[in-house]
Amino acid sequence: MNGICHRILTIGRNTFLDAVRQKFFNALVILSVALIVSSRFFRQFDFGSGELKFIADFGLGAILLFGSILAVVATAQLFYSEIENRTALTILAKPVHRWEFLAGKFLGVFLLLAVFTALMAGILGIMLYWRESSLMDRYGDQFGGQRLVSYAGLAGFAVLQWLKLGVLCAITLFVSSFSNTNLYSVVVSFFVMIICQLQYIARDSWESIGNPALKGLVWGLSLLFPNFQMFNVGDVMLFPHDATEQLSAGTPWMIGGYGVVYIFVFVGLAVFAFRRREI
Amino acid sequence: MEAPAIRIHSLVKDFRIGLRGWKLRAVDDVSLDIHDNEVYGLLGPNGCGKSTTMKVVLGLLEPTVGGCEIYGVPSSQVKSRLNVGFLPEAPYFYRYLTGRELLKFYAKVCSVEPGKIKPRVTEVLEMVGLTEAADRRVGTYSKGMLQRIGIAQAIVHDPKLIILDEPTAGVDPIGSAAIADLIRALKAQGKTILLCSHLLAQVEGVCDRVAIMDRGKVVLEGKVDDLLSKHDQQSLLVDTFPEAARADVEAALAKHGAKLTGVTTPRISLDDLFLKHTGKGGPKQS
Repeated sequence: MNGICHRILTIGRNTFLDAVRQKFFNALVILSVALIVSSRFFRQFDFGSGELKFIADFGLGAILLFGSILAVVATAQLFYSEIENRTALTILAKPVHRWEFLAGKFLGVFLLLAVFTALMAGILGIMLYWRESSLMDRYGDQFGGQRLVSYAGLAGFAVLQWLKLGVLCAITLFVSSFSNTNLYSVVVSFFVMIICQLQYIARDSWESIGNPALKGLVWGLSLLFPNFQMFNVGDVMLFPHDATEQLSAGTPWMIGGYGVVYIFVFVGLAVFAFRRREI
Repeated sequence: MEAPAIRIHSLVKDFRIGLRGWKLRAVDDVSLDIHDNEVYGLLGPNGCGKSTTMKVVLGLLEPTVGGCEIYGVPSSQVKSRLNVGFLPEAPYFYRYLTGRELLKFYAKVCSVEPGKIKPRVTEVLEMVGLTEAADRRVGTYSKGMLQRIGIAQAIVHDPKLIILDEPTAGVDPIGSAAIADLIRALKAQGKTILLCSHLLAQVEGVCDRVAIMDRGKVVLEGKVDDLLSKHDQQSLLVDTFPEAARADVEAALAKHGAKLTGVTTPRISLDDLFLKHTGKGGPKQS
């Protein structure tokens, strides 16, 4: 067991190092940081929300957009580079199970996503704290002596976003495990991501479907594709005082558990599809 | 009786191609036994099934029919690869790692004990002649150096069996000679080596036995000396051979019912000539 963990960690660490050395990751990080920081200068546009909410929405949007791109492209790229460059052969020709190889690849990208999410959430937190402090100095009476932004909520939400990106990474790994080209994996994974984002529509319509066969099909599909809308609790977690509904203490844990289950399911499917793949 | 290093029995490997699932038979009923501490050459033209056979041996491909065992363990089991090192054809490694880091990575993957990794990596780097380039990034290595670091990653966990796919392809004669010396050194250490190549002259000097494959089948197999020697003929090497001496020799041979069929000047190979004039070695003893 110790040997298995050691091998997975070694492959994961190498995958992570491979990823952070790629220009793509660095460019994405710079772009995301620039976008979050620039939200401070867009405040003259009034989208109907308070300035802090606008900065938070902008920052969380940047994390979701660039995090999704990173999760899909990095997973597909790091997987295919191993196959195309035949480095996978040198690893799999050693006493390494195929599932250990896949678990290592997943772990490396998951670690990369952790660094990305933590960095972005950290910068967003600094931006919010800085702006909130200056607004409190100027309009202290409107804040009633307490901060509007929950920074613990931001940290918790960042963990949920990380798990959501982890699910996307696991989906991409599954697609890559049977597809023949990098492009196919990227395109299909993005389509699946869109389905997961819009899956709540199917869930809503499920209630009104009368045909039991169709209802069963929609129900099955809604189980197959994770519901990414479940993770959209940023407003409630960051601005609990303004929220009309409050999250129970167990809800973030439940959402996190939901993400972890789907990660295991899709990595498991990837292992199943990859076990007899000819490389 | 101890199990052979590799036993391939009645191996058939088909690939499905196209949407209709046409079968392409890459390996057709191959059976081989490769013994311990033997250098075995799997030779043949491109596309004859050598690499496919190797991949089945390594458990990277599943056989359609038949099977393969490494020291008695079926190659489908991961534990069969505990004692195997592999160099793939035209290897490409993580360019951002140094040679030393690369070997440490593979040593960890092979579960070499943490305390033994550093000395083993140093030892292997010295063995393949890359000590000076150990802390350079692999991305800066020449083709020959890549092959040597490839062999180093294959032997870093001290396996009993080493499988080399086209170890000298694309390497200059100096690099090829160094790799050949390395193979001989590994054999001297008691290792078994299976090497696969279409560069026949380069493997001739290192193999004990060879099998020649064509269109997925083994068409010839045996000891190199047995296959290459003309047992019904002998040759004499003399410093000078005047016409008068030739007549005397022909007469003497005729007395014993033998016949002189030709007199030629011995040649060294172009590789040996190259090595001699580039100061990298002298002609090999044949």
